[in-house]
Amino acid sequence: MSVLWFTPAELACYNGRDGVPAYIAYAGQVYDVTHSFLWQGGRHQALHTAGIDLTGSLSEAPHGADLLARFPVIGRLRERDG
Amino acid sequence: MAKVAREMVERAGINVDTLLELLVKNASAELTTFYYYTILRVNLIGLEGEGIKEIAETARIEDRNHFEALVPRIYELGGKLPGDMKEFHDVSACPPASLPKDPTNIKAMLTVLVEAERCAVRGYTQICNMTAGKDHRTYDLALAILNEEIEHESWFSEFLGEGPSGHYLRRGETSPFVRKFLE
Repeated sequence: MSVLWFTPAELACYNGRDGVPAYIAYAGQVYDVTHSFLWQGGRHQALHTAGIDLTGSLSEAPHGADLLARFPVIGRLRERDG
Repeated sequence: MAKVAREMVERAGINVDTLLELLVKNASAELTTFYYYTILRVNLIGLEGEGIKEIAETARIEDRNHFEALVPRIYELGGKLPGDMKEFHDVSACPPASLPKDPTNIKAMLTVLVEAERCAVRGYTQICNMTAGKDHRTYDLALAILNEEIEHESWFSEFLGEGPSGHYLRRGETSPFVRKFLE
């Protein structure tokens, strides 16, 4: 099965606003959080927005990466655009 | 609004609008949890349900107290509650603690309850982390609520057989930590 790859610029399009799906990246994987109550409108707890790589933010979060297991992985993130 | 009180928090480096959004979201989580726990509690029937009805009721009332304690601080900092209660429900920091499909499944009921408390523990830990050493009043309030949420989680976790909670259930009046904010 082929893997769907996202560049950071492509991921940024999935910000969860105006009916667009909400995707986030962590540790190279892209998760679909569109249907999560806690990611409505592409925002999470007033602090984070969808469409970005949150790998660097998790260390400051009051939860671990284990919570991401609740969401489907729909692709992988390329390290850079282009 | 307490103008100087807000100014002190701003000068400490906190984005007060972000803090207010978090406080409103957590106030919503408390009030909605109070509502959903009402439904959960009335469905705790039979011998198994009776065993956890009291702790569910204590958690329910204390979550309502948490809402009551948060409201003044929101307004002190210049914030407000949404005028539309449906909107208020949907901004909750935690998902609805909805009744499981099979309310007679006590493990399913306890799972809903413990997950709601865990979400609250994370939420107030976040607020404590933001405000520690900077916004003393909000920190004091968030810490008081956090203490009670941790106890709620431990009760339900113990009933799920995940391990000892380390303490007895609540005896006497509710909200031993948050009570001072309610007087």
